[in-house]
Amino acid sequence: MRRALTAVVAVALVAGVVFVAHRPDQAGAQGGGTIEAAVTFAGAPVIEKLKVNKDTEKCGTETAIEKVVVGPNKGLAYAVVSVAGAKGAATAKKATIDQHGCKFVPHVQAMTPGEVEIKNSDDILHNIHTYSTANASINKAQPKFKKVMTEKFEKPEIIKVTCDVHSWMLGWVAVMPHPFFGVTDANGATRIENVPPGKYSVEVWHETLGKQTKEVEVKAGQTAKVAIEMKK
Amino acid sequence: MIARPLAVVAAVALALGAAPSRAAAQAGDATAGKAVYERRCAGCHGEKGDGKGPAADLLVPKPRDFTMGLYKIRTTANKVPTDQDLFRIITDGMPGTSMPAWAVLTERERWNVLAYIKTFAGEKLKEAPKKVELPKDVPSSEASIKRGKEMFEAIECHKCHGTDGRGDGPSRAELKDEWGNPIAPANLTKRWTFRGGASRTEIATRLANGVLGTPMPAFLDSVEKPEDIWHLTNFIQSLGPDSPHYATLVTVTAVTGAIPDDPNAEFWKKLTPNNIPLMGQVIVDPRNFNPAIDLVAVRAAYNDQAIVFHLTWDDPTQSADEPAKKLFADAIALQFPPQITAGPERPYFLMGDGSDAVYLLRWENGKGVSEASANGPGKIAAIAGGEARGNAVFTNGQYRLVITRPLVSKDATRPTFTPAVFVPVAFQAWDGGAGETGTRMSVTSWYYLRLEEPQSNRRFVIPPVVAILTLAAMLVVVRIAKGRA
Repeated sequence: MRRALTAVVAVALVAGVVFVAHRPDQAGAQGGGTIEAAVTFAGAPVIEKLKVNKDTEKCGTETAIEKVVVGPNKGLAYAVVSVAGAKGAATAKKATIDQHGCKFVPHVQAMTPGEVEIKNSDDILHNIHTYSTANASINKAQPKFKKVMTEKFEKPEIIKVTCDVHSWMLGWVAVMPHPFFGVTDANGATRIENVPPGKYSVEVWHETLGKQTKEVEVKAGQTAKVAIEMKK
Repeated sequence: MIARPLAVVAAVALALGAAPSRAAAQAGDATAGKAVYERRCAGCHGEKGDGKGPAADLLVPKPRDFTMGLYKIRTTANKVPTDQDLFRIITDGMPGTSMPAWAVLTERERWNVLAYIKTFAGEKLKEAPKKVELPKDVPSSEASIKRGKEMFEAIECHKCHGTDGRGDGPSRAELKDEWGNPIAPANLTKRWTFRGGASRTEIATRLANGVLGTPMPAFLDSVEKPEDIWHLTNFIQSLGPDSPHYATLVTVTAVTGAIPDDPNAEFWKKLTPNNIPLMGQVIVDPRNFNPAIDLVAVRAAYNDQAIVFHLTWDDPTQSADEPAKKLFADAIALQFPPQITAGPERPYFLMGDGSDAVYLLRWENGKGVSEASANGPGKIAAIAGGEARGNAVFTNGQYRLVITRPLVSKDATRPTFTPAVFVPVAFQAWDGGAGETGTRMSVTSWYYLRLEEPQSNRRFVIPPVVAILTLAAMLVVVRIAKGRA
């Protein structure tokens, strides 16, 4: 009996290893290049502060609507950088939006079409209200006992996410037709890896500063740096 | 001649509830519908169907923008309403909004205009409507209402709708619709203003799939158990009456003892409220096209000394004078002729005019009760030596106010109240939090109030006497009849 069990486990393990090893990887895993994007904004940050009149134990007494977040060296945070026209398989990874401290975390993210997990870590009512055109808009209540909901964003577009209970809450989900994207960090930087070699136009989207593009050439095994300055 | 009885039968059938809104869907003719639309609908909804007709600026809520293909009232789980959903709104209108019931159009015309309206949204309405599946109905019961209340608190309906459901929740001021216009949460205690109807199924449907284009989310998957949708429905139904049962006459109850001036006293709860509807003041500038206060519940009592009015009205915010923030003091006023005379002559209902003054008994948040004489909205003069006093409480989006005044006045500017006389009365109200002040107010025309006659012991004497006399008369008749036989 024990021997049979061991055999089964062994087979399962081997099968698992084989499966993992053979998992079709993203296009150009070996032959791809990397894009390092640096997004900057010369203007001043735009952060609106407002007093909170409810749920202060979860939301705090003051909150901020971060419309333009500028870090050191003019680095612009929360910009979505993507490689326009690139082709590649979708990532299997589920996107996650957490409602935490009466904010959407992360504030901006990008994903390939598929499922998105919506968490409520706050123990109070939120409602997930999306503004989209290609995908069906969602307006679903997420009371405190509903910790996780799963929704589908199946078509590429940029989706605004709000909560009507806490009107300052604002999030963005960029649904991309390919896996070659990144969201800039506090320094305005992001890396896009395994991009198949070729000439591309890198597109930057920011929630209040709009869109800009820049040409870039990706060579196998090399890192292409691209600097983009966003303007009002 | 046959046509007329047929028409009568048809009318009776319609009245009996063969409601045209339940009619089977018909394919409308969009071309024919265009003519109806341009004549009847474009004034508000705009020629292009974008909700920007010439009247749109004056309306709250704003007319629907048909180009988005977004509809509040759906019986569907997806974005697309059924044709019956749209037909119903055209036929029955939307309570609490400027959308009237278009029963004046023939059924055919309504289907045609519906077909035309759908063309504004183009591709956006091409998806097939999917009916929402409600959980199994749970009839209302004490236990169900209790569970509904628990769920109401657990899912935090109060965030928008307020603790007692009066639409005064903390998120109220932040709410915007899909077009960025401010939108008010429903006052759940006034079911007759529900946009999509007040039946249990309609309420459950709104809870289940939300109200599209508004902050109201879908709760079907966001309650603990599916049947909670029905418990919530039953609880919401328990929050208020199905209809306001508007009064035409305010009866002032005769009392022998003291009348409490505490607005929350048991005494007042025992009196039946007389609900008076208020309208926006749209006669003199500045006008109030979208009044915030639509109803005041009036109770009144008197004894040998005083007449006491108890007024209840909903107002989402308690506000005092802060003109810099465009906020004003909440206020309410009762209006009477200065002297009660027999006959139909009354001063002009809107605070009197140059020739005939009115007497105002006015309460203002922060200032209390004052008496004034008015010869029109712009000519209000305080009456010196105030004899009235007031006591107000504000709880969860509702004011309750008691105003006490001597029954008799020796002064020509103030009326004396006499039992069994019909006394003209009118009301004015201001929601200062909504920017209402001066002529931006809610008004009524003249109503009547009547002090019931003091109860005497005669009611215990006269009926038995009448009964005895009747019996005696009958005996006499029997006797005569027997004598003849």
